Amino acid sequence: MQTENEIVENLCKKFGFLRDKVYVQRQKRIFTEFLAKEEFEQVLRYAHDELGFYRASHVVGTDEGDDLGFIYLLSDKNGIILALKEKAPKSDPVINSMTGKYPSLEQHERELVDLFGAVVKDLPEGPSYPLPDGWPKGSYPMRKDWDPRYFDKNTMTYNPPEDNGKKEGGNK
Amino acid sequence: MSNNNNGNRIELPIGPQHPSLKEPAAFWITLEGERVVNAVVGVGYNHRGLEKACESRNYIQNLYLIERVCGICSHTHSTAFCQGIEELAGLSIPKRAAYIRVMVAELERLHSHLLWLGVAAHEIGFDTMFMYTWRDREKVLDILAEVCGNRVNYGINTIGGVRRDVDEAMLQDISKMADELENQIKYYLELAMTETTLSARLSGVGRLPYEDALKFGVVGPVARSAGIADDIRVTEPYAAYGEIPVNPVVDTRADVLGRTVVRIKEMLESLNILRFCIKNIPDGDISVKAPLRIPAGEVISRTEAPRGENIHFIRSNGTDKPDRVRVRAPSEANWRGVKHMLEGGYLADVPIAIAAIDPCYSCTDRAIVVDSGNGRKVMDWQGLRQYSIDWYKKHGIDVSSVKIPEKKYF
Repeated sequence: MQTENEIVENLCKKFGFLRDKVYVQRQKRIFTEFLAKEEFEQVLRYAHDELGFYRASHVVGTDEGDDLGFIYLLSDKNGIILALKEKAPKSDPVINSMTGKYPSLEQHERELVDLFGAVVKDLPEGPSYPLPDGWPKGSYPMRKDWDPRYFDKNTMTYNPPEDNGKKEGGNK
Repeated sequence: MSNNNNGNRIELPIGPQHPSLKEPAAFWITLEGERVVNAVVGVGYNHRGLEKACESRNYIQNLYLIERVCGICSHTHSTAFCQGIEELAGLSIPKRAAYIRVMVAELERLHSHLLWLGVAAHEIGFDTMFMYTWRDREKVLDILAEVCGNRVNYGINTIGGVRRDVDEAMLQDISKMADELENQIKYYLELAMTETTLSARLSGVGRLPYEDALKFGVVGPVARSAGIADDIRVTEPYAAYGEIPVNPVVDTRADVLGRTVVRIKEMLESLNILRFCIKNIPDGDISVKAPLRIPAGEVISRTEAPRGENIHFIRSNGTDKPDRVRVRAPSEANWRGVKHMLEGGYLADVPIAIAAIDPCYSCTDRAIVVDSGNGRKVMDWQGLRQYSIDWYKKHGIDVSSVKIPEKKYF
């Protein structure tokens, strides 16, 4: 059984760019800082193929200001969770689907599309999740600037004021 | 229903008002004769924007919101949320509180599994067993009402511990209930293991073998019935589980029968855990004071819900409101396997195969609201009982002579 520290050591030895970007957060938890797309994918593949992180529990989307954050939670058979983080700018929020390595991620990546407006390349075809049909295009409810006060569920339209409610005190 | 010009294939849409489960989900089934050759699962009809709502409420308000993620396993969600906040705030809860959390968690597992067993029996037309298990579940719900004040959405957890203590009389009631329930659960186990009708109906149905269970990341009894011995109570003991012997129940049938056996045996294990808690619960406080503002940071908190691994990701920004909350309930993980459980099986097996992952559906409280003209009246327990007696009388059945023991908490 590899300990958390051994896994971190192993990752740093394999990927020089991970030095100071991966750490043991506490027992059974390893976190990385946000990584560039290519770096993230290399680490994820290595974690799957070589380190025994056989299961992806889910992906947490986050709003990081000008960027979108994607936190992939992988776990090994000893219950150690590796939280691998990837970032993409909101102006070009394209990431690659990781369902090739982890088929279990399909629904979670769909959620990134619906709720955060991410563009996930190579995501298998299927029904959207979780927003209903007819949801207004370009309206991403988990972004921080999306305000439920401006969503009209009867007409299914999102009508924010021009200043996006900043004068009224912003997102309530 | 439509022919898709592909030989004898028929596409059959089921749902989103699902005929058997009291929760919306859509299934697009492609049939070749009676065989399911393709299945597409559509979920998301119940998405309530709960995580977004968390971002504009403080941690205490969120505790009540989070408890309502699921009506059946509300305690596991409030436990995961509380222990995540406690980790961020550096709080260590009193041991007595940790034991109470475990006891409520195991009572919740018992009532959830009994509920499931009844639903599964109903799905295969075995309504006698449905009546039996739901009758037994009432005993657990009565205890939950006694300990927590509520049958569902218990409200026992708070950040820093629990809100209510247990007294000696409650512990004795739990012990008595455990003794009564044990005989019934052993009877259900015997039925599952020996009753040929059950095994003929459930064996080989909804198969998800070990490799696929790993691949699709299913959790809880679905994974354990395929030989995966994951149980967060053992892998990463929380609350008081580190001091309590827990033996994960594993089976290798990888079908609905396996899932049934695992859940029944898990109930016996829950009774053992409850008995250990009754014997060993320490004296002391039940909570510590928690700050309103939670230090900035990220946490991943896990619990073993009745349906499997429950994960809460919480990010604090140092204020009294979280920056991000993401709940990965176990059913979310188990839906991934459903497509593969259905494919290759028969259409008639679809309802029980879906039900066998124990997808969440709402559990209503015993109190109901009746519209009467312009006003509204909330019924109490006695009123509800009288309403029931009157309703049956109108339909020619007099149940007024049936004696139900009065309980102080109704």
